[in-house]
Amino acid sequence: MFKRQVLQECISALLIMLFLYASLSKFLDFHTFIGEMNNQPLPNSWTPFLVWFIPCSEMLMCIALLFERTRLIGLYASLFFMSLFTIYSLFIVFNFFGRIPCSCGGVIKRLTWNQHIVLNLFFVALSISGIVLQRRKFFKSILITKNSFV
Amino acid sequence: MKRIKWTIMTLIISLSVGGALATAPQHDCRTDTQYYLTGGAYMPAGTWGVNYLCDAGSDICSYTTDGFGNYYACRQGEYRLILGGITNTPKTKPGKK
Repeated sequence: MFKRQVLQECISALLIMLFLYASLSKFLDFHTFIGEMNNQPLPNSWTPFLVWFIPCSEMLMCIALLFERTRLIGLYASLFFMSLFTIYSLFIVFNFFGRIPCSCGGVIKRLTWNQHIVLNLFFVALSISGIVLQRRKFFKSILITKNSFV
Repeated sequence: MKRIKWTIMTLIISLSVGGALATAPQHDCRTDTQYYLTGGAYMPAGTWGVNYLCDAGSDICSYTTDGFGNYYACRQGEYRLILGGITNTPKTKPGKK
């Protein structure tokens, strides 16, 4: 039980580290981030929305993952976002957009698109493991509450 | 358990904030005027993402200048002009890389 709890904390901590670093890197070099978004093979009209939506969502996920009550929501959100990033990276690698833009963003920009996919898949797996552990805990707590009423 | 949790979280948050601050660019050449190399001449590249793009690649996408005819590599990648972007004549003669 104790080991599982520590494991759960470590999973959340790793996800928080990723999202916090990613969002802070974007905010600290916001001008470059706008350019990076424009450089992506997405319509440039999406940029004003995406440059705020992506780092703010990452920040919100960190807050959700930090607290026990909102952790499951945070884990589902991180699974959704990491899956989305993985699908986007796969589209890039398979030349779906007709061009391969540079992969940018903090230290992570030094990774190639293939390395990005591996990193994303690792965090997808981590989110799934976190959800499984958290759901088990969540249902157990419901069962305990139900039993205490009987 | 709470003590362990908050120890891990404090450590992780400090690492992330410290890492983001440490890797934030000090002087970013990308904020200077960018040029691209074409036919041995450096041409103003305009705004990244608006006038030109950089595709993945080992080439140099854009350069910056010190104003003394020296050009330095800035962005890595393959230069790609966006149709309707800047089409000025060369501003300076070919310089050193």
